[in-house]
Amino acid sequence: MIPYILYVLFALGGAAIYLAMPKPAGSQKRAALVLGVSVVAGLMALMSMHSVAPNPNNFFFYMFAGIAVLAAGRVVTHPVPTYSAVYFAVVILCVAVLLVIQRAEFLAVALIIIYAGAILVTYAFVIMLAQQSGAVATDTQAREPLMAILVSFVIAGAIAGKIEQLNSVPVQLPDRTITQASDAGAIEAATESKSESGHTRAIGKLMFGPYLIVVELSGLLLLIAMVGAIAISRKQVPIEDTGEVRLPVGQIGREAPPF
Amino acid sequence: MPDPGSYILLGAVLFAIGMVGFLARRNLIVMFLSTEIMFQGVVLNVVAFSRMHGRLSGDVYGLFMLVIAAVEAGLALGLVVLLYRRKNSLDAESWSAMSG
Repeated sequence: MIPYILYVLFALGGAAIYLAMPKPAGSQKRAALVLGVSVVAGLMALMSMHSVAPNPNNFFFYMFAGIAVLAAGRVVTHPVPTYSAVYFAVVILCVAVLLVIQRAEFLAVALIIIYAGAILVTYAFVIMLAQQSGAVATDTQAREPLMAILVSFVIAGAIAGKIEQLNSVPVQLPDRTITQASDAGAIEAATESKSESGHTRAIGKLMFGPYLIVVELSGLLLLIAMVGAIAISRKQVPIEDTGEVRLPVGQIGREAPPF
Repeated sequence: MPDPGSYILLGAVLFAIGMVGFLARRNLIVMFLSTEIMFQGVVLNVVAFSRMHGRLSGDVYGLFMLVIAAVEAGLALGLVVLLYRRKNSLDAESWSAMSG
């Protein structure tokens, strides 16, 4: 039963995105907003009904998950790229909150610093560099929005249907069995240390222990990307012929021209 | 903490929205922003799986995904600047000269 409600919700959500997509004739923003908000509310209600362990923290999950989905929808439908970037910052902050709810504080802070601090600023720079004046067809006309929405939401529906199947059976793990109400104590058990900085310390131990080579490799990857980005975006400056006599390398600086 | 199924469902929804943006928008910058939304969905999934198993490997994996995202953003935006200089337009369709 629940998968079919999910499919209907996904179809309505796809319709909302289709309505909000930029079109030359103007998009039906109000209808899209009403439809989108109701779809997100329905999705969150479905999730909360399905949840086995009611918890006051869950309210924050539903709130920020809803905001994240709405803001993501606006990123892909806003006709002005600058506003898309701002809505993307909202998505990042909501995802960071969701990570904090999952007790991944270090990852949440790293997400905010790297995405909102570095990547988004780079996007803003490029938007400023390459901004065309006024509204151009690139931004006001989507390319085959119906097919894109159909493909994407069919994939999401397939994933959701599979999750619903998996949710009905308890998860079998090699060492122990936990039901879908994941026990919060498992995280404390995994962090090994009971100190106040448990999560960050445990991640550090993992990164500089078993994953040390991967850390080194990611440093190498960043270096390669830096060299590549410089090589790609270097501007070719033509050397003009100014009429000066170019001395051979050994002769430069030997003779000073008379005043 | 809500059950992992909610997180995986949310990750799937974010992934789908990002995919819509990547397929349907024509502005190169917005297309790359959409891929970043897809990354967010996957990070949520990875951490949820990690919690499901009571381990922290997923968090470390998420950190490496941030590295990949930074690398991707740097290279992709360099390419966008290059392409903009060539055609003076951010339209992805202006590069379809070789399609049949």
